[in-house]
Amino acid sequence: MSLELHVKHLKVGQGAAQRILLRDFSLICAPGQIITIMGQSGCGKSSLLAATAGLQIEGLQTELSLKLNGQRIDHLPTSQRQIGLLFQDDLLFAHMSVRENLLFACPNGPAIERAAQADAALQELGFEQFANSSPLTLSGGQRARVSLMRTLLAQPKALLLDEPFSKLDSALREQFRLMVFSHARKLGLPTLLVTHDAADVAKSAQVIQWEALQHA
Amino acid sequence: MKKSVESQIIGVALSLPIASILIAVCAYSMPAIGNFDAWKALFEAPNLSSAIRMTLWTGLASTLLAWGLTAWLISQAFGKPWWAALVRKLGWLLAVPHAAFAVGFVFLIAPSGWFLRVLSPWLTGFEQPPQIATSQDAYGLGLIAMLIFKEVPFLLWAAATQLQRDDTGARWLRECQAAQTLGYSASTAFWRVVWPQLSPRLLWPLLAVLAYGLTVVDAALIAGPSSPATLSVRAWQWLQDSEEATNAQGAATGWLLTLIVASCAALMWALSRLRSHTTGGDRGRDASRAFGYAVWLGLLIVYAAVLLALAVGSVSGVWPFPALLPSNLSWEAWQSVASSSRSIGITLALAVLSASIGLLWAVVWLEIAPPRWDAALRKLLYLPLLLPGVLWVVGLHRLALHLQITGSFAGVLLAHVLAVLPYSLIALSPAYQGFDPRYGQISAALGKSRWQFLAQVKWPLLRQSLLATLAVGFAVSVAQYLPTLYVGEGRYVTVTTEAVNLASGGQRSLVAAYAWLQWLLPALMFAAAAWLGRPRKFIHSAS
Repeated sequence: MSLELHVKHLKVGQGAAQRILLRDFSLICAPGQIITIMGQSGCGKSSLLAATAGLQIEGLQTELSLKLNGQRIDHLPTSQRQIGLLFQDDLLFAHMSVRENLLFACPNGPAIERAAQADAALQELGFEQFANSSPLTLSGGQRARVSLMRTLLAQPKALLLDEPFSKLDSALREQFRLMVFSHARKLGLPTLLVTHDAADVAKSAQVIQWEALQHA
Repeated sequence: MKKSVESQIIGVALSLPIASILIAVCAYSMPAIGNFDAWKALFEAPNLSSAIRMTLWTGLASTLLAWGLTAWLISQAFGKPWWAALVRKLGWLLAVPHAAFAVGFVFLIAPSGWFLRVLSPWLTGFEQPPQIATSQDAYGLGLIAMLIFKEVPFLLWAAATQLQRDDTGARWLRECQAAQTLGYSASTAFWRVVWPQLSPRLLWPLLAVLAYGLTVVDAALIAGPSSPATLSVRAWQWLQDSEEATNAQGAATGWLLTLIVASCAALMWALSRLRSHTTGGDRGRDASRAFGYAVWLGLLIVYAAVLLALAVGSVSGVWPFPALLPSNLSWEAWQSVASSSRSIGITLALAVLSASIGLLWAVVWLEIAPPRWDAALRKLLYLPLLLPGVLWVVGLHRLALHLQITGSFAGVLLAHVLAVLPYSLIALSPAYQGFDPRYGQISAALGKSRWQFLAQVKWPLLRQSLLATLAVGFAVSVAQYLPTLYVGEGRYVTVTTEAVNLASGGQRSLVAAYAWLQWLLPALMFAAAAWLGRPRKFIHSAS
């Protein structure tokens, strides 16, 4: 499984206010490889992930080609790209319990199988006692872990990380970072991480400086 | 300390008269409950059960269908680039008064209306208007359709206020995107993630739509069935009777309507609590986007067609079926409107006065009232919105009788002010309460008095909201039908009472002219408010 991305251009805004964020940029991410894109906040690196995931963001225009395992997927809507995305916020659904949030991600199939998958994820987190709680009652670190599990339960073929560690305090950060990276490597997911913090870079990871792309 | 005593005195001076009038109105409508003869007469009235059935059918069907259509329309547009543009247009749809919309809608769907003219004779084969009732039909379908189209923009607007907030709508949009990265189609993600969180917050607007649909009189007189008429129309007819016993029967009907509204609201509330968020995991597929566009466009087209039908209808002379346009134009209706310019004068006088009083009152109240007083008074102030119109006017009329102001301008103005006040407060509150208190602190630190701060800083900054509040009050006053007629004892004729009262007669072009005016006057006011409240243009820009 590998992810091949070629961005012809990435623009934001309309008319005179239009900004070109990126032009002629390519990367190939191998299975289990974690590529980090470093840049200041507001530079547009999150827009790159949004475009890769196919999210419809107002004012964002792009022309890119995207291949997952050699298959073109850039014509597909977000829901069919099989790319997991971890946001800055956990974005757990406030109207669902922790377990229902996990169940929501499990692929369509027999109810018993789906329940088993959700319960296994709860067990792995050690959160069985929170199963029927509102996600709002969990701490920020706990929510982040549920959010990661929810992303993985949907069985993505690649992973995009949009500064998922930035809102956690430093002790939790390190712990959660290792958890994300180990899952990505174990599942062999090509992974793109955008961040402004050098501490987020995984060991032996390839690092791309966003600013360097601007002058290329 | 001195200042707080002062503001308490002003607070009492502002709230006491309003509160006592509102309580008096309710108290005066109470005797109808204990009038045994009135209830007996009501239950012996012919066709009472069919009137109740018609009320329940039109009220519930229109509310539920408007609710479903609103949800579906949002599901098609939320998160799309054109959503913001649509939301900005909603104000214009909301500004169309119910009665004017009903008149125009009937013009569209009547046997000789534009819908059939467009389709005839090539599709329908009709060379003459068919002899079937398509507008005031016995099944209430015309009324239901009219109410749906009129209420959908209101529900959309209520939803938009939630969807534009950072802590709700912006978050739901990202949750919706998160659901899509989990493989859910955009529409399934909306129904599973956004709607379950949005819909509970729309309960009050939904109940307002329900209460309106179950008790509406003016639009039902125009577009509703006449036999069996809805219960509220029957009540209105009884209230206008010269026999006092029949009036009492009408007042009792007002209480019966209150009971019906309360039971339906309780039922709907109970139903809204039943929900489960466990999903089967089906990802769903998105329908074609073109269909969503088409339905949105259809809504806008209906409004455009209604207003166009009124405009063309008001100048139509001879207009044989199935021609699309009248064969000759006639200014007769407008000449007749001009010759009875008193009605326009009264409409404007009532609207300008009551909107100004409403704005002034709301500004002073929001400026000085402690939050606890505000919360307490609001419960009372919203009564005229919640009680059935036919019941409200009974209490109002009795109060006016007691004060000896029935049939006087003062009485009608009082009725209009009471109707306008809650809307003025609702319209002004968000901007006024959201005003950053630090501006006041800075201004005081610069040595400015409170008056200087208000006149030079706060009100200029809030100009747009102040003007919009004035326009809302104006529109509410123009739309008043029941109180104008009942408290004014028919002596004060406005464009609204003319439009509704003439609607059953044969003078199509005159009805259209009055209905068009009923829309035009508030629309001009909204346009003027928008123009006067436009942001200041700076000649020099910083960059």
